[in-house]
Amino acid sequence: MNDETAVLADSSSGRVPMLTRASFAAQVLQGEGPIAVEFMSYGCAHCRAIEPILQQVAAMVKGKEKIFQVNVAVDQGLADSFAIQGTPTIVMFLNGEEAGRVEGASPNLSSVLTAVTQPFE
Amino acid sequence: MPSQPILLFDDECGVCRKIAAWVKRSAQLKSGGTSLIVRPIGNDPEALRRLNPELDIWQAYATIHVVMPDQSLKLGGEAVAEVLRRLPRTSWLARSFAVCIFGLRPFQALLNLGYLILADVRPLFGCESCGSPSPWVRAIKWFMKLPKLALGEHRPNTTPHFSTRTRPLPLR
Repeated sequence: MNDETAVLADSSSGRVPMLTRASFAAQVLQGEGPIAVEFMSYGCAHCRAIEPILQQVAAMVKGKEKIFQVNVAVDQGLADSFAIQGTPTIVMFLNGEEAGRVEGASPNLSSVLTAVTQPFE
Repeated sequence: MPSQPILLFDDECGVCRKIAAWVKRSAQLKSGGTSLIVRPIGNDPEALRRLNPELDIWQAYATIHVVMPDQSLKLGGEAVAEVLRRLPRTSWLARSFAVCIFGLRPFQALLNLGYLILADVRPLFGCESCGSPSPWVRAIKWFMKLPKLALGEHRPNTTPHFSTRTRPLPLR
């Protein structure tokens, strides 16, 4: 399975798709419209707390905004290129350009929803 | 599926790494084999699901898991008891956890409690991947963070991302 089909498989399962360095450029930097990317790692307790809420928010904004995840433990270079200093950090992109970021959003629905939508309002 | 149980450990947690290294050494048999496989949880949810379809990577990081040869899972204190049962030096101790009095297993209950306390206090040792601390630990942790709060170095709700290329945040 190549990166593109891996992203599509994640989308069809209803989960937030995981991007790698290879798929990041096509999905985010060359992507159109509002996109939010959560830089996370499975071993991060705060990411664990935010995970079910992010999945819920992704379902709520479906069709209006795309949400992806990047595992910093796997793609450290990608995290470095966006100067990620802590996880979770959610970086918002509009037409491939960074439009804002939130570090360590509180693990509740309103905080995460505000974090991923406010930069585009 | 191997014939030995697999202990999954959090390789991003220093406390867990040290315990896993001790278990790995202790699991070595005189005959040259091993009584238990010790492996890090890693970053591949699919690889974990191949061990057991119900194995969730987030849950694996949240609590200790042992995958049995029949693919069943043991968690928390039950997993610790299974590990001790498999180690040549501690198998005698593990027998006590099976002792049943009036339908209860008092030593297993004590072990479960001990595991819960250890899991709670791990964040005090600088482990950022061990889960959110309980209220009683949070108070101690907050007290320990006071100097950083005063200096404005504290970043709430994030785990420092250590990178080889960017300057990492100081440990909380």
